[in-house]
Amino acid sequence: MELEREEVLSAIHHCVKCKLCSITSFHPREEWLPLCPSGQFYGYQAFYAPGKMEIFRAILEGEITEPSEGLLNAVYACTVCGACYEKCKQITSVELGAPDLFEAMRHELASKGWILDVHKNIAEKIKETRNAYGEKYEYKAKSSDENADVLYYIGCTARYRVPEIADAMLEIFDKIGIKYQVMDEEWCCGSVLIRTGQVEAAKELVAHNVEEIKRSGAKTIVFTCPGCLKTFEKNYPDMGVELVHSTQFLLRQGNMNLKKEDLKAAYHDPCHLGRDLGIYEEPRAVLSEVADIKVMKREKEQAWCCGSGGGVKSAFDDFALWSATERLKEAKEAGAEALVSACPFCKRNLKEAAEKEEIEVYDVVELVNRCLER
Amino acid sequence: MLREVIKMDEMVSRLVKELQAIVGEENATDDRAICTSYSRDQHWHFVPAKNPACVVRPANKEEVRAVLMLANTHKIPVIPYSTGINVRGLTIPVHDGSILLDLSRMNRILEINPEMKTATVEPGVTFGMLLEQTRKYKLRPAFPDAPLTVSVLVNYYLRGIYQTAATDGHDHTISYEMILPNGETLKTGSRALSRMPYFRYGVGPDFAGMFCAHPGTCGVVTELTAKLYRLYDNRKEYFIGFDDVATPTKLIYNLMNDELAASIRLVDNQSWLKGIFGTFDYPYEELPKFVLCVLVEGVDGVFEAKDTLVRAYMKECGGEVLDLPAEFATTFEHESLGGAEKSCMVFGIKGRGNYHCIGLYGPLTLAAKYYEVHEKTALEVGIPKDHVHFYIDPIYSFHGQLCYFELDIFYDGSDPGFGAKLRNYNERQFHKLLDLGIYGWFRPYAGIIEPTVERIGYLAEVWKKFLRVLDPNEIMNRGKLF
Ligand SMILES: Cc1cc2nc3c(=O)[nH]c(=O)nc-3n(C[C@H](O)[C@H](O)[C@H](O)COP(=O)(O)OP(=O)(O)OC[C@H]3O[C@@H](n4cnc5c(N)ncnc54)[C@H](O)[C@@H]3O)c2cc1C
Ligand code: SF4
Ligand code: SF4
Repeated sequence: MELEREEVLSAIHHCVKCKLCSITSFHPREEWLPLCPSGQFYGYQAFYAPGKMEIFRAILEGEITEPSEGLLNAVYACTVCGACYEKCKQITSVELGAPDLFEAMRHELASKGWILDVHKNIAEKIKETRNAYGEKYEYKAKSSDENADVLYYIGCTARYRVPEIADAMLEIFDKIGIKYQVMDEEWCCGSVLIRTGQVEAAKELVAHNVEEIKRSGAKTIVFTCPGCLKTFEKNYPDMGVELVHSTQFLLRQGNMNLKKEDLKAAYHDPCHLGRDLGIYEEPRAVLSEVADIKVMKREKEQAWCCGSGGGVKSAFDDFALWSATERLKEAKEAGAEALVSACPFCKRNLKEAAEKEEIEVYDVVELVNRCLER
Repeated sequence: MLREVIKMDEMVSRLVKELQAIVGEENATDDRAICTSYSRDQHWHFVPAKNPACVVRPANKEEVRAVLMLANTHKIPVIPYSTGINVRGLTIPVHDGSILLDLSRMNRILEINPEMKTATVEPGVTFGMLLEQTRKYKLRPAFPDAPLTVSVLVNYYLRGIYQTAATDGHDHTISYEMILPNGETLKTGSRALSRMPYFRYGVGPDFAGMFCAHPGTCGVVTELTAKLYRLYDNRKEYFIGFDDVATPTKLIYNLMNDELAASIRLVDNQSWLKGIFGTFDYPYEELPKFVLCVLVEGVDGVFEAKDTLVRAYMKECGGEVLDLPAEFATTFEHESLGGAEKSCMVFGIKGRGNYHCIGLYGPLTLAAKYYEVHEKTALEVGIPKDHVHFYIDPIYSFHGQLCYFELDIFYDGSDPGFGAKLRNYNERQFHKLLDLGIYGWFRPYAGIIEPTVERIGYLAEVWKKFLRVLDPNEIMNRGKLF
């Protein structure tokens, strides 16, 4: 565990079990809106932030010495979305956030070998294929200029599960005349390993990607995946390159000759982009160029998580889809015809859930590409 | 020893199977980690962590009844838990092998009756959930200063303190239904006689009062009908600064005696004021030591008349009327009449992360004395002055000059040494306050009740016998007291 034991215990002791982290700010709207997907779905205290902290304390103090089914579920059926912390810090001014604590807890569990088989399998797949989905084929993408300053880091999900996002981003580069590189040997960024506590296994991936990026000579790396961006920001050494999200990159292109569609769209804040990296405005600014934004009740710091992060999608798909469905319902309630995110992982889960709901799901770059005239 | 542990494990496994047969497989468990998540609350310096043997989550009364009867047959302690935010270790098991009865799935608002000004709720309904619905009728429940994530039913059943709006008084419970360990249902007030649960005193004694506010519980309350109060459009807030506790008591008395203000709270400038104003980010130290927060409300005509009188009293009160940012008044309004959300900021004061308080009822006339003894005892046990805080909330109707006083200490929850000091403080302070004279404690929790019971004579015997009748096998978490 990278955090000191005492630091962790001190943060845990500061949790006063008020459970205000389970709902969005009540005033001034005076509506009861749940905020913690895990607690709301499973119900037992163990699935809310205060319960998880208590479990972590008991592990550190040697009261829990074996991995039970409930332990693994409580710890890993949490999207590590950080919504609880956003609420908590307003009230308790606690110095250490729940997402850091929960990642440290997973690291602690993983170091004891207390880990879900499905997450172990992902690590094995990555070892074998260098991507989180164990796919053996290559997503076809070619650099438009081997010496371009801009490098697009595609990420496993946009390569192998939602390629329409990568396609859209590449087309946008072409349309606006930006030269770009893509990595011939892009390995998984390591996010899924780090988020599931398998920090050591990520080291090789980090080293490889750092080496490749240095060799590329790129000055700016563009990410459509906030999970990859967060991992580069927080878990990679400083490579002296600029790391930007696609929406930040697009916004600074200025007037892109976009033709606004007659589409009512709600924007879903991806947790890694919003709560983790504080990027709330840029995606909205870009989206407002191509659609009419409908505002949902749970937004920005207090956005409801789509349900797929933190290794949840791979291990607890029913929970992930339930969380996504809740979000889709909220978008529909806001009068939206489409729910637009800025993350391939969100899109994938929301899209899957949308099969039963009458609502479209997009990534911002897809809409931008659609509205962008050459 | 090992054999005993194995035997216990086997018993619990069998018990969980029986519980699962009642509530469904996914709603009962003896999983160690799940149980651990219920093992400790904010009061852990006083009530150490302890795991229940299993957790069961019933969906309705019949499941509650079946669980209780099963527990009663096997004499297994049961700890009802609705939201678990009681800040007194009340849902932490005393005995090994206890069943934690998590009632949070029972979260229906059964009725809001705007004509009767009542709401009937299940245990899992929180103040936030209830206000969301009642405000549609311009009604609200009486709020404790607890986070609005707490259970309405339990808060009223425990008989809390409703200082956010002094006008509401003390008793909001009208009637309730409780399932006893033997599976029988007790209904209080008019609920016992008819389908109209709207009157507290149905037959004979005030049974609603008798079964509530025990340390531990008599049974499991499954529904409760409570009073609702009006939300007025006309509101005005005032903040008046004082340098001591004694001076503002005259103004408090006048406001209470003439029944002029909804909310009247005297707080010191370093503690609850931060929650009332909703921010840590203000130079509170530049304000006078104590601030009286006053909220006037009412229908047209009455409101203006009250407001005029309040202003007149303010002029002659000896305090300084403070000119503060407008948003402070808005937050004060929300916190007083819309459910407390920011009061938990007391846990963030100076980043210390925990608070300890002795809450008591007594006459306003003793205010300065309570404060004096609070400071003195804290210093005696080595608690620095800047950790010592205080507030006064008068309560309608004002007979006996009834006030709630809170002797607060904010501290770093992760410091075990401070915990020891606080235990020492408690031991001395309980006796000193009892000697000085109080009306009663906020809640008869473990620790405070023992020195108290010694002083109440034959009442203690009757109290014990009464509980024995309701719960002969002592399964209802009675270890918290007798
Ligand atoms: C910052 C802060 C400020 C607070 N200020 C106030 C205040 O101003 N006024 C106030 O009144 N309280 C206050 N509290 C205390 C606390 O929030 C309430 O007392 C709370 O309503 C009780 O906790 P709960 O509802 O979570 O019940 P729980 O913790 O679930 O239960 C409390 C007790 O009731 C029993 N119980 C639970 N459910 C049932 C049931 N269905 N039937 C029978 N017994 C049951 C439990 O076994 C336990 O003994 C404050 C708390 C905090 C954190
Ligand atoms: S808001 Fe913070 S202190 Fe309160 S229960 Fe949640 S994590 Fe704990
Ligand atoms: S990180 Fe998200 S899912 Fe996990 S406990 Fe916090 S709010 Fe719930």
